[in-house]
Amino acid sequence: MCRVVVAGSNKVIEPVIEKLHELNLLHVVNYSGADETFDMGKPLGKSSEYAEQLIKLRSIERYLEITDKMPDKQFPESQVLSQMDGILDTVGNDVIATAERIAEIDNEVKIKEDQARALKPLAGLTLDMELLHGYKSLASFVGTVASPVEADVSKVSYVNEVFTSSSGGTNAVAVFVPVEKAGEVSGVLAEHGFSEVSVPGGLTGTIAGAISTLESDAKRLEGEKAPLVKKLKDIRAQHEDLILAIDEHLSIKSQKAESPLRFASTDNAFVIDGWVPTDQFEALKREIESAAGGRVQVEKLDGSEADKLVEAGEDIPTKLNNPGVVKPFELITRLFAIPEYKEYDPTPLIFVFFPLMFGLILGDVAYGLIVFIVMMMLRRKFRTPGWQSLINIVTISSIWAIIFGILFGEIFGPLGLWDYIFSGAHYMGLLGTVADPHHVGVDFGSGFYGPLGRIGPEIGSFAGGVFPMYRLATASVLVLIGVSLFIGIVHTGIGSVLGVKNELAYGEKRHAYFERLPVLLFQVFFGLGLLGLIAGGLGHPLVLLSALVIVISIIMMVKGPEGVMGATHIPFFVSNLISYLRLLAIGLASVGVAFAANQLGFYVLMPMLSGGAHDGFTTIAIVVGIVVLIMVHFINLLLGILSPFMHPLRLHYVEMFTKFYSGHGGGVEYSPFGRVRRFLRD
Amino acid sequence: MVVETITDGGVLYGLLAVGAGLATGLAGIGAGVGEQGIGAAVVGVVAEEPGFLGKGLFLMLLPETLIIFGLAVSLILMFAWTPFA
Repeated sequence: MCRVVVAGSNKVIEPVIEKLHELNLLHVVNYSGADETFDMGKPLGKSSEYAEQLIKLRSIERYLEITDKMPDKQFPESQVLSQMDGILDTVGNDVIATAERIAEIDNEVKIKEDQARALKPLAGLTLDMELLHGYKSLASFVGTVASPVEADVSKVSYVNEVFTSSSGGTNAVAVFVPVEKAGEVSGVLAEHGFSEVSVPGGLTGTIAGAISTLESDAKRLEGEKAPLVKKLKDIRAQHEDLILAIDEHLSIKSQKAESPLRFASTDNAFVIDGWVPTDQFEALKREIESAAGGRVQVEKLDGSEADKLVEAGEDIPTKLNNPGVVKPFELITRLFAIPEYKEYDPTPLIFVFFPLMFGLILGDVAYGLIVFIVMMMLRRKFRTPGWQSLINIVTISSIWAIIFGILFGEIFGPLGLWDYIFSGAHYMGLLGTVADPHHVGVDFGSGFYGPLGRIGPEIGSFAGGVFPMYRLATASVLVLIGVSLFIGIVHTGIGSVLGVKNELAYGEKRHAYFERLPVLLFQVFFGLGLLGLIAGGLGHPLVLLSALVIVISIIMMVKGPEGVMGATHIPFFVSNLISYLRLLAIGLASVGVAFAANQLGFYVLMPMLSGGAHDGFTTIAIVVGIVVLIMVHFINLLLGILSPFMHPLRLHYVEMFTKFYSGHGGGVEYSPFGRVRRFLRD
Repeated sequence: MVVETITDGGVLYGLLAVGAGLATGLAGIGAGVGEQGIGAAVVGVVAEEPGFLGKGLFLMLLPETLIIFGLAVSLILMFAWTPFA
């Protein structure tokens, strides 16, 4: 990135803005208004008109429920211009009127339904609607009561008229008394649990009749609404892409017209500050100067001037630049934070480690294949960039899951299809393989805690070995602990190396060598020491060497910028390494479920339903067994996609990124002035 | 009689397994208690400001390490520690 200043006469501001927008290169730094010589620029001519049109268009979009999507059709600028007025006025007014009518109908229907519901308890009264209210000398009380009121009303008001009815447990009552007695009567009614029903005006005839009128009105209005809703749907289907194209056109216009607000200007001249990728500077200079006919000055600030601005608080924008396969993984980087300009972009590392970890955890040929196929299907459905990235990440990860599945010998878990396909036999004694010292396989020798066992049972004529490596076997668990820790050492180690590199990039040598470097030494040698301990015991040279380096690294930490406090982080680094055991643990959990499902299906249900036979199952037994297997494996797969995704994510965010990322806070993404046209074409 | 039963290897292996189970299970409960508060807060913040999702996930997943500690203890008990070998 290099810092650029574009200055010129106000006469050429329009062609310059046009050109800048078209080039889509300059990351504009907004003018802060701090300098007395300059004012903030004024928007160009028609900006308010564009804004108004845009507001109207957006309200049409809202009524039609159009949201941003991937384009199916593209429109030339001329077509958009010629059809824009038609859409905004004729179609737009139609849409707005229709939508408002629908809202009105919804409102009326709601009122009518509420009224009908309120009148329901009164349906039994033999009074007409117009008789219920509207008296000058009479007070009327219409509603429901808990107990009979006639006697008590007579006590306070000799002159009275009481109508009652009762149906389905509610007692409706209409009480009419002279106005002067209203207060006392209302007190009496309250004692009987009176609750008033507000009688809507404008209705005549019997109460029951009024209710049915209200209900049929509501139904009629609903009927009127249906074609209007369909009309909006039709308009949407017909114009969706065009409306989005107009939106894009107007957004571009308004963005251009309002851009001078971000520039510094005087009465006669303007100044635009910004950043541009260094290799693009010459092109930018040439294009702008030719667009403005030479009446503009494009200049690059040299390093020290740019550094001063950065010290004063300006952010150098970061442009994430990764090759195609790696690009989707920027999603994971972004979710955490954009790296600062001088920091290392960890996306390529995520590309290497994330799918590997996902595969190591899921590790099943069938599960991996299913995820792969599902992702291929979703690829067409969800076409926004965010979804595409996510789908690409999972697709790449699922390939690793298949590879590890072959290594682990799992098709829908161990003890399942793999054995039937590759050896024609099945192994009941899977968990006991280590106990058998004569078993064929790779011997891992003895460690500090005793024999490490062997891996892999004998398969047909293939004399065992590490392939396939059943994950549930004791020896496999031990090997996978080692593998997980090893990945942890490499992963956090790379993180620490990047930490050293980042600090050096900022010129912080003391932080680099006495804060980041000892962490690297500590973690790598702690891990190596652990492996040495498992492999050879306390006297192993690796253990002794590690102990020495760990002591040195702790001394370095204490000597570092944080002093003794630096050493208090040590438990954190130890827990970082142990945290990588999740690579083994979560995988084991899902293998456990798959194993249980296969046991249930092949060794319990099928033999049981076939009358105890272990070979030659009956058809019904096979069908029931397979249904149960599908159900359990489906649930296991659903759970098994989430965990292998979340936990590697955590290993990156917590264990790796903290080693180098957090030191200097988040960066600003390079977002040049301009816009990629999606619905418009030239 | 009682002494004989206690020194019996099988029973001790059983107790070892119970201990391993407790180590992972209790650690899981601990992590869950830790995460419940963080999770609720993160959901609240993300509802207000979706851009916080990444940092929220980061905070949310911190206590998960507790389970792994429990699991490490279990694994050592079950596979690596052989007191009766």
